[in-house]
Amino acid sequence: MNDSWRLSRLVVWKIILLLLLACGTPPTFAADHLAEIKANGILLWGADAEGGAPYVFPDPDKPGQLIGFEVELADALAAKLGVKARMVQNQWDQLPPALERGNFDIILNGLEITADNQQHIAMSRPYFVYAQQIVTRKATEGLTQLENLKGKKVALMSGTVAQRLVEKMGGADMRIYPGDVECFRDLKAERVEAVVLDLPMALFYAKPDAELKLSGEPFAPGYYGIGVRKEDATLLLAINQAIEELAADHTLEKIYRKFGVWDQRQAGLNDYQAEVVVQKKAISTIREWRKYLPVLLRGAVTTVELSLLGMVLAVVVGLLLALMRLYGIAPLRWLARAYVEIFRGTPLLIQLFLIYYGLPELGIRLDAFLAGIVGLGLNYAAYEAENYRAGIQAIPHGQMEAAFALGMSRSQALRRVILPQALRLVIPPVTNDFIAMFKDSSIVSVITMVELTKVYGMLAMSTYDYIGLGLMTAGIYFALSYPASVFANWLEGRLRYDHR
Amino acid sequence: MIAVEKLVKSYHTNRVLHGVDHAQQRGEAVVLIGPSGCGKSTFLRCLNQLEIADSGRITIGGVTIEGGHRPRTSEEREQQRQLRIRAGMVFQQFNLFPHRTVLQNITEAPVVVKGVSPADAEDRGRALLAKVGLEKKADAYPAQLSGGQQQRVAIARALAMEPQVMLFDEPTSALDPELKEEVLRVMRQLVEEGMTMIVVTHEMQFARDMADRVLFFDGGLVAESGAPDELFSNPQCERTREFLRKVTTR
Repeated sequence: MNDSWRLSRLVVWKIILLLLLACGTPPTFAADHLAEIKANGILLWGADAEGGAPYVFPDPDKPGQLIGFEVELADALAAKLGVKARMVQNQWDQLPPALERGNFDIILNGLEITADNQQHIAMSRPYFVYAQQIVTRKATEGLTQLENLKGKKVALMSGTVAQRLVEKMGGADMRIYPGDVECFRDLKAERVEAVVLDLPMALFYAKPDAELKLSGEPFAPGYYGIGVRKEDATLLLAINQAIEELAADHTLEKIYRKFGVWDQRQAGLNDYQAEVVVQKKAISTIREWRKYLPVLLRGAVTTVELSLLGMVLAVVVGLLLALMRLYGIAPLRWLARAYVEIFRGTPLLIQLFLIYYGLPELGIRLDAFLAGIVGLGLNYAAYEAENYRAGIQAIPHGQMEAAFALGMSRSQALRRVILPQALRLVIPPVTNDFIAMFKDSSIVSVITMVELTKVYGMLAMSTYDYIGLGLMTAGIYFALSYPASVFANWLEGRLRYDHR
Repeated sequence: MIAVEKLVKSYHTNRVLHGVDHAQQRGEAVVLIGPSGCGKSTFLRCLNQLEIADSGRITIGGVTIEGGHRPRTSEEREQQRQLRIRAGMVFQQFNLFPHRTVLQNITEAPVVVKGVSPADAEDRGRALLAKVGLEKKADAYPAQLSGGQQQRVAIARALAMEPQVMLFDEPTSALDPELKEEVLRVMRQLVEEGMTMIVVTHEMQFARDMADRVLFFDGGLVAESGAPDELFSNPQCERTREFLRKVTTR
């Protein structure tokens, strides 16, 4: 069995997976998209309205309606094409792959014109000149330049130019966030020392905020462009022409002034020279597994730590809750029941947000790792409590009576007689929950934890090899969860006492 | 040794015990008989506090507990524990601890409750197993034993706490006829050794042969009591006659 044979087998799997994925994709790969857009009368533009001010965001006065300078730009652009604009919500750092899939026609959402972004999609001429801005708390001094951030905790948004700049500089303790609002929140909560992000967001959020300040001058200017599928050459031409006209008749200036993002730099729009982008070779992460697998495994270590510690917490708190509910005085019983109903009946995601972003307002500041463990542990404790309760109630009443009759106290009877029997009964459901938590732990990436799924997402974003990385990542999850279920089976067998 | 005064017990609105009085000497073996639902099991369960009497007073081996409420203070709880240690209980369903070996079932309570050293508890446990004829089963698990063997272990387990009184709650009712005898043999041996016992049973032969006194329970009261010869051959009360006719013609 040689290597090339093994590789070709992987290729076959990839093709099968691709075919499966393709089944769910609408057939939108027609040659001339512009004609189709005009025929339908609708230009679909992809953007992320979550924390999207001042680009695209829900109107605070009318939350059902989106506003922002890009909303007005999209309308103006669509008008030039003789159609209507309609926004399609998509997670920001996954906009390019979604465009390629055909979920919408263009990306119009602060997408920087960079070589990386132009590997897989084409980009229009710029519609906005941005720069990077460092934001700190009011009292912080001296963090006015990128170099000052070495050795500091810095908040960055996933997939942004700022992330790449700080990464390239090295030496900073980077925290990656899904959005700008979370960055600013943690800056105020003193979890990070600075945020680096595009100037418009700094102007919109940080400038009016009394606790924050823009630290130092904007730097590293660049261009926002509109992303278009590579095959849509005529659409790209039409968009370029439309942008040029909107700049010339000062429509852009009017829109930008309305949202407070106009500055002298926008004059640079006219000097733009498109650079020739060198196309990198497509990356097969599976062929280069020596490079990618260790990175994924480092993420897996965090996943294992989170789920092991989270489960320990869940098992301990769950047991306490079950005992309170079964044997406690009335207020404790009521409390335990309320706990189970509330933690089981509300989403883990919301609980994590409340613990990580909400508790600091009450003066309780947990770092992301601890918040992740607490969030997972407290949520799963509700399920474990019910497992234990079922296990304890399955033990015949005569066992407790026999223990009492022998003079044991209630706690002795529980510890020596009831729980040893009940714990064995609950091994299968608890193992089940452990494996579920193992996979659920990926949700803590929303509070900046970089665990296995997040590493997968970040690598996939930069390599575009969703399938190769996906197979590796899924393989790691399975390789870690399968032994857990084997161990549980073994343990269950070891603890058997009903052998005949 | 045992003194019970005016014991009353109800479940919701259903009064099961109507003020039972009972006094018993050390070494006396008493058998309770009566139709089902007459309160004899409840009486037994009240004695070692598995049921809390509504009112009345129970004294066993010098420890007295007043009915009316569950123990609230640590003092009351200790009192209850002392009473239970003095009264060993054998259940209809054996209630052995399935996750413990036979020997561990016997040593558990002496070690945990009385603080006996594990080595001493084991020695005594093996001696008790020999007494009930199961020394070879010390390391078996309850599920590996027959019902009769399990009940003999349960008796050894109760004896390990060195109780002053042994309470048997229908100890042979869950057993096949051929297994009853091995349990009754152990119980006879205990009577001959002078153990103070209260036995709730439907085994009339056992009552006739071994009891010092037989109590006939009916309607939550002791309807009639006496030496087995008298009570079985010449019952005074119509209800007793009726009951005996039923159980002997069965």
